[in-house]
Amino acid sequence: MTPLARGTAAVGAALLAAGIALALAAPWLAPGDPMNMVGRPMLPPLADGRFPLGTDQLGRDVLAGLVHGARVSLAVGAAAAAAAIGVGILVGTVAGFLGGLVDDALMRLTEAAQTIPTFLLALALVSVLGATAGNVVVAIALSSWPPTARLVRAEVLRVRTLDYVDAARLAGRAPLAIAFLEVLPGALAPVVALVGITVGEAILVESALAFLGLGDPNLQSWGTMVANGRANLRVMPSLVVLPGVAIAAAVLAVSLTGDALAARLGGRR
Amino acid sequence: MHSTSARVFGGLRALLLGAAAMGAGVAAATEAVAQEVQRGGRLTVAADTEPRNINPAMVASNGVFFVSSKVVEPLAEMDYEAGLRGVLAVGWEGSEDGRTITFRLREGVAWSDGTPFTSADVAFSAMEVWKPLQNLGRAIFADLEAVETPDDHTAVFRFTRPTPLQLIENALPAVSAVLPRHLYQGTDIAQNPLNNAPVGTGPFLFAEHRPGEYFRLTRNPGYWGEGQPYLDEIVYRVLPDAASKAAALETGDIQLTAFSAVPLTDLARLDAIDGISVIPGGYEGITYHITLEINHRRAELANPLVRRALAHAIDRNFIVDVVFMGYAAASTGPVPATAADFYTADVPAHAFDPAEAERLLDEAGYPRGADGTRFSLRLRPAPWFQMTRATGDYVRQALQQVGIAVELVTADSGAHSVAVYTDHDFDLAIGSPVWRNDPAISTTILFQGGLPAGVPFSNQYGYDDPEMNALIAAAAAELDRDRRVALYHDFQRKAATDLPIIHLVDFTFITVARDEVKGVASNPRWATSSWADTWVAR
Repeated sequence: MTPLARGTAAVGAALLAAGIALALAAPWLAPGDPMNMVGRPMLPPLADGRFPLGTDQLGRDVLAGLVHGARVSLAVGAAAAAAAIGVGILVGTVAGFLGGLVDDALMRLTEAAQTIPTFLLALALVSVLGATAGNVVVAIALSSWPPTARLVRAEVLRVRTLDYVDAARLAGRAPLAIAFLEVLPGALAPVVALVGITVGEAILVESALAFLGLGDPNLQSWGTMVANGRANLRVMPSLVVLPGVAIAAAVLAVSLTGDALAARLGGRR
Repeated sequence: MHSTSARVFGGLRALLLGAAAMGAGVAAATEAVAQEVQRGGRLTVAADTEPRNINPAMVASNGVFFVSSKVVEPLAEMDYEAGLRGVLAVGWEGSEDGRTITFRLREGVAWSDGTPFTSADVAFSAMEVWKPLQNLGRAIFADLEAVETPDDHTAVFRFTRPTPLQLIENALPAVSAVLPRHLYQGTDIAQNPLNNAPVGTGPFLFAEHRPGEYFRLTRNPGYWGEGQPYLDEIVYRVLPDAASKAAALETGDIQLTAFSAVPLTDLARLDAIDGISVIPGGYEGITYHITLEINHRRAELANPLVRRALAHAIDRNFIVDVVFMGYAAASTGPVPATAADFYTADVPAHAFDPAEAERLLDEAGYPRGADGTRFSLRLRPAPWFQMTRATGDYVRQALQQVGIAVELVTADSGAHSVAVYTDHDFDLAIGSPVWRNDPAISTTILFQGGLPAGVPFSNQYGYDDPEMNALIAAAAAELDRDRRVALYHDFQRKAATDLPIIHLVDFTFITVARDEVKGVASNPRWATSSWADTWVAR
């Protein structure tokens, strides 16, 4: 690792750790429901000790919104990315290992899924399924698995021709066991590089859905905060800037951390 | 502009006292008269919506009136002093038996192509358009049998059942836009291209509509009003969002926004700018409510004690102060206080009192459980106003404080309407019905039992009370004004006692205009009136 890479990795890891710490500490940092209207509306930041980052147009504590929003963004982002990567690994491994008709069918399906823009598909799914946190996770997962599937398939195609796989086959192991216990571990390293991108994208999609009013209305999310603050941009820009910075920092943190992890595991760069 | 600012901020609540509304309107009108009227020039305003059909005789809605009420005129318009002022009609009277209303029509009025306006146009509009095709007219003119035209300037409306003159009078400004018979007769009225380029007798002519860009109206040189209109041209510019409307107002690209088009939080900032004023008047005839809609099919909510608890648990003044930033008034029931002729304050009041709410819920047999929750409800806030959504957020919080868990469920406009008014798939909803100046037009339908599923903005709540139904039917057929008003007072008391739905706040809209625009808010439906007396100072 170059010193620069080491530096960005440290920044990423520190940001991510801080974000996770804030999310975990939210119930102590800002007790109660962050959706509650607790103060005078439109208090600017630093004006009142009880609300260090001010209040929004309905008198909701902006700090409470940010820390509880971290929970929503990180949890939804991580869950959606985990589900998307899980589906991608399953499809990619089965397609790459079995080959033939199964491979053709799965890859055509993957390509078909890839022709639909990720965000539009997520938007359509949430509109149909309803705006709840669970549905947002499902929608993001269903719209962002294809890149993982393609990457895993390519790696599996490479790994399955290696000698140790032939050895396992000769030893009489079941095909599924060979695929998932022998081939897959050897094909996983490049997937790690995708984790950062997938989580980052999931956070962005969640924020964008919330911005368009398709987030879970019972949860305070950064995207919802930006949407609510937009009308007050001229009067109190902090209502848009603070959650906006939070989204950018979270995406930056997972991307940098993902890159660093991939570089370490892959032994490259 | 701090002097106007002070007047404006205390303004709405004072305006809602009815009598004060008259005073403010007169003040605005005399202010306009005091200055010498300047003729000519163009007024550029922010467009509200771009409806596909802008024929006001078919689609009686504020979005349509905003543009087409300048082109197509009604028989009468609301007025601060007279209450109602004749436009195409100069006078009217009802018969003793309530079955006929005779309108005397204005003479010397011509359509913009020169054809004279006659009683045949009124008869055609009433029988062929208002009664069969118009959203409000279908109900109001359901009993209209025929319109006779003894001469060119008399139209006699014949009803099969006694119809209160008061109801027709109150409905006239919104439902009586008169179309030119010679251009519509023999065509498929619903598909006539003039629905997108209306022709009328009004002060302005429809010039063009460029979708996504603007509507343009030009002065009607043959208008019957003495020396009117003052403006040469009105342009409605389509702007993408509230923030860009505020910016266009500041730069002078537009001179006026109506229907609260700029964010409420921006009003104080805009009002402080030299040359821009916030004007809350001119909408008294266009009042909306925010209501808590209740599904009586839920056992808990069918219990009157629980509904009374809901009324005590919600702080209406909080909604007024925070959600509406003061530009609204706490509601006492289905008739707003601005409607002085129908309103009564003598109804059971349900003041904000969470302790009383908790006591009622205990009494109803729903004590707090181990987790502090009594029962949980699903709340659907209507998506069409930012204020309905924000009220949903507040009601969730308020009910949770008395131990009722609330889950918000959001959907787009179409899905929301189907869920509430067709499928009844809700426990609570936040609605925004319109008060149309007479309870029989769009208010009693929220309380009347036995309506089929799928009628939007009607009683789809599962409430069906014989006494309430009888009151509504009696008032609809009562010809005597005082007895009719008394029946509607009983209706308001019954509504506040049973609380089938809960009216939370009454609100109207706000105009923000540059100071060179004169003659603004000159009547209680100003934004949806003709603007014949509006002018621009140079």
